Amino acid sequence: MRATAGRRGLLLGAAGLAARPARAAAPRVAAIDWGLAETLLGLGVAPVAAAELHGYAHWVREPAMPAGVVDLGLRGEPNLELLHRAAPELILATPQFAPFLPRLERVAPVASFATYVPGGDPLVRSQDIARAIGRLVGREAAAAALLGKAEAAFEAGARRLSGMAGRPWLTASFVDARHLRAYGRTSLFGATLARLGLINAWTEPTNAWGFATVALERLAAVPEAQLLLIEPVRSEVEADLGRSPLWQALPAVRAGRVARLGPCWAFGGLPSAMRFAGLLPHE
Amino acid sequence: MLPPSPRPAGWPALLLGTLLLAGALLCGLRLAAILPPEQWWQALTQPVPGDMTQVVFRHAVLPRMAMALLCGAALALSGVILQRVLRNPIASPLTLGISPGAQLALGAAMLWAPTLLAASREAVALAGATTAMALVAALSWKRGLAPAAVVLAGLVVGLTASALSAALILMKGEYLLSLLLWGAGSLAQAGWEPVLALAPRLALAAAAAFLLRRPLLLLGLEDTSARSLGLSLALGRAAALGVAVWLAAVVVAEVGVIGFVGIGAPALARLAGVRGMGRLMAWSAGFGAALLLLADGLVQLGQGLRGDLLPTGAATAVLGAPILLWLLPRLRAGSPAVMAGITASRRLARPWLFLALLLAAMPVLTWFGLALGRGPEGWSLALGVDWLGMLPWRAPRLAAAMAAGAMLAASGTVLQRLTGNPMAGPEVLGLGAGAGFGLALLLLLVPAPGRPAQLLAVAAGAGLALGLLLLAARRGGLAPERLLLAGVSLAAFFQALVAAFQASGDPRAVPLLGWLAGSTARLGPEDATIAVGLALLLLPPVFLAGRWLALLPLGDGVAVGLGLRPGLARLGLVLPAAMLAGAATLVVGPLSFVGLMAPHLARWLGLRTPRQHLAGAVLLGALVMGAADVLGRGLAFPFQLPAGLVAALLGGPYLMALLARRGQVA
Repeated sequence: MRATAGRRGLLLGAAGLAARPARAAAPRVAAIDWGLAETLLGLGVAPVAAAELHGYAHWVREPAMPAGVVDLGLRGEPNLELLHRAAPELILATPQFAPFLPRLERVAPVASFATYVPGGDPLVRSQDIARAIGRLVGREAAAAALLGKAEAAFEAGARRLSGMAGRPWLTASFVDARHLRAYGRTSLFGATLARLGLINAWTEPTNAWGFATVALERLAAVPEAQLLLIEPVRSEVEADLGRSPLWQALPAVRAGRVARLGPCWAFGGLPSAMRFAGLLPHE
Repeated sequence: MLPPSPRPAGWPALLLGTLLLAGALLCGLRLAAILPPEQWWQALTQPVPGDMTQVVFRHAVLPRMAMALLCGAALALSGVILQRVLRNPIASPLTLGISPGAQLALGAAMLWAPTLLAASREAVALAGATTAMALVAALSWKRGLAPAAVVLAGLVVGLTASALSAALILMKGEYLLSLLLWGAGSLAQAGWEPVLALAPRLALAAAAAFLLRRPLLLLGLEDTSARSLGLSLALGRAAALGVAVWLAAVVVAEVGVIGFVGIGAPALARLAGVRGMGRLMAWSAGFGAALLLLADGLVQLGQGLRGDLLPTGAATAVLGAPILLWLLPRLRAGSPAVMAGITASRRLARPWLFLALLLAAMPVLTWFGLALGRGPEGWSLALGVDWLGMLPWRAPRLAAAMAAGAMLAASGTVLQRLTGNPMAGPEVLGLGAGAGFGLALLLLLVPAPGRPAQLLAVAAGAGLALGLLLLAARRGGLAPERLLLAGVSLAAFFQALVAAFQASGDPRAVPLLGWLAGSTARLGPEDATIAVGLALLLLPPVFLAGRWLALLPLGDGVAVGLGLRPGLARLGLVLPAAMLAGAATLVVGPLSFVGLMAPHLARWLGLRTPRQHLAGAVLLGALVMGAADVLGRGLAFPFQLPAGLVAALLGGPYLMALLARRGQVA
């Protein structure tokens, strides 16, 4: 695990929370990042506070956020007063919150986890992070169970999709009708495809989050691909695609090899990977 | 305008030919990389069904080249018309707020009227562009659409539209990926439909422009001479502006915001010695087409066939920078009438007593600002122990915001008095945009940089902008209007670069967005100490320079007579003003308008001498920025709006109202 710890805070927090007797009352944890929030929920722990709950319900979907969780507002600018009032014992954050770190540490110890690093495998890191969070909140058993459940889901998915193993899959979300984000090996979707024994059609360079924003014409380079479009596809994009000769000429479109998935959070953790695997069409 | 310079008759053709040849060469290379030349004809006439290479050749690469030519021509034509109508060599769809207006309309429609957007993107963009242009025209109409008035109105409108777009992106970023991409202008195509839509529109606009060439020629003259020639100025202007706005809106709707072609192409045409309105329009369109084709060719060459998208709009900014820097020292200063000094509506009987009362009120207001907050139960005042409990969360950001407001206000007061221009301000000098560029570069190069590194990057960016500004304005001896125009151009340049970074959808750009919007939530006691310390360090010297501020606007002759070296004194005032602006920008981002607004408020209250004006503006600036911080905490609860954004949304309409009112007075 390479949890970049929130300096002095993490050690204190880890010691403090791990010292609880097992099966104690639910630890009070705040999770600002959606991927960490869903992982926490996957461990059976509801966060006391999380950010942009409306957006979470729309983009992440599963596991559902229970009622009573404090909405901290924007992920990019969490409401610190509310966070303070929610009185968490531990805050889960990512390195993206580095500018906020001193402020967050005033509220509670911060554990910072990077799921996405250049060249890293986000699925492996998601598993490590689930285990690490399990240790931090005293839910090692739940973490082991989540990992087991994920393994089972991936195994089942691999079996279900074994008939498709020969075909490369291209996961993408549309920006507008002329541009899309293609997800590569180091994206959550790409890593999950690999775990399922499937081939990722996008082998070109991507950014640290594992995707590349590219023009539509680049799809022509992978004629044999099965297209997986992450919902939502905006209505005006649909309309433009319907009139685009380039889109219509793509082999995948002509052969009807275009599937819609989701929504499914591209920058999530283990639960999002499981959701993605479950959404994949097997025919 | 540029002074006419004699050139050999063949110059324009030679220059255009060279540019086109270079562009065509790059295109040829690109085409050949996709499809062997011997198959080109077949791909066009008898395409092999199912051959994807031929499809890409035919429906992506070729229309992209056509799009580059058309958009370049359209933007150049739009630019040359705007420049002529407004008698302003740096007027362009970008600097006048037309493109930001169109972009805002597209973003709003995406969120609230997707069916409208699906029906006609052009109509939505046109509505936004027209609204922006109408606002700019209305705000500067009474001042005869004087160059400086128009540019500043355009700046206010454009920045307000950008602030609103930033708010939309902050709140609903996941839904608005395309808005970020449009902000940087990508020419990628997926069929001929957009080209076929743009071509007849361009032809129509060109025809209209051709018919308007005589009125346009007259519009280049001063109003009085044009009127004496019997021209209906209003009608001619409206028609010409309509054509220019339409062209810009269509381009934004199809490919997004592409800057600099609208300024660069007409400048090249003039540089090549083209004279006469009809010829100027035709040659500008040609240069625009060639420039964008070349820029897009370079973009695709740099990008190759792999890797992330590099938007063309950003590349034109990079290519356009040298042209701008060359152009700036050659700008003709505006007519003196435009630069009429600040007139206060009243005079306070006891200004110092008023200032003392204001100062005394500050602690009370600050206490109130710290006590006021919003929780799940609604707005409330935290009293006693609660007040102390909230202090660690509310005090640092409020202190930093107020210090930044004070510094911006001081900077704005100095610049307004120095330039004699009521619309001068640090926002106008491009320092904020430069700071943003520094931060963007750092975020690109260093993974998760810490606060000290971010501060350094922001300071370096602001310093770079200031250096460029002084360099560009050097020949004019810091002439007020030249400084302003240079600042506006710099701001546009840096904004294009930052937009390119954001457009990649790279999550590294998220902190940048927060800073651009003026987020104060991340600020802790250390940041507050730095901000307050900088304010205490930088404000006193400005007060000491009060005598220079009083003498310089009287004219260089008077100043010299009283033993002042005007050039040196100006530099001695501009430098601290820039440092104040840079320091404030570190804290609240580049987008607040407080530096423009606070000096006005102080004037309006009747504070007239330089020191009174400064003191009043500093206190009011601190109050306004502090109020923006307090409001930002609660307005959209639980969402927190960045203080800079709130100040901009308060300040934009205020400045627009002010511009309109001043127009009636002047």
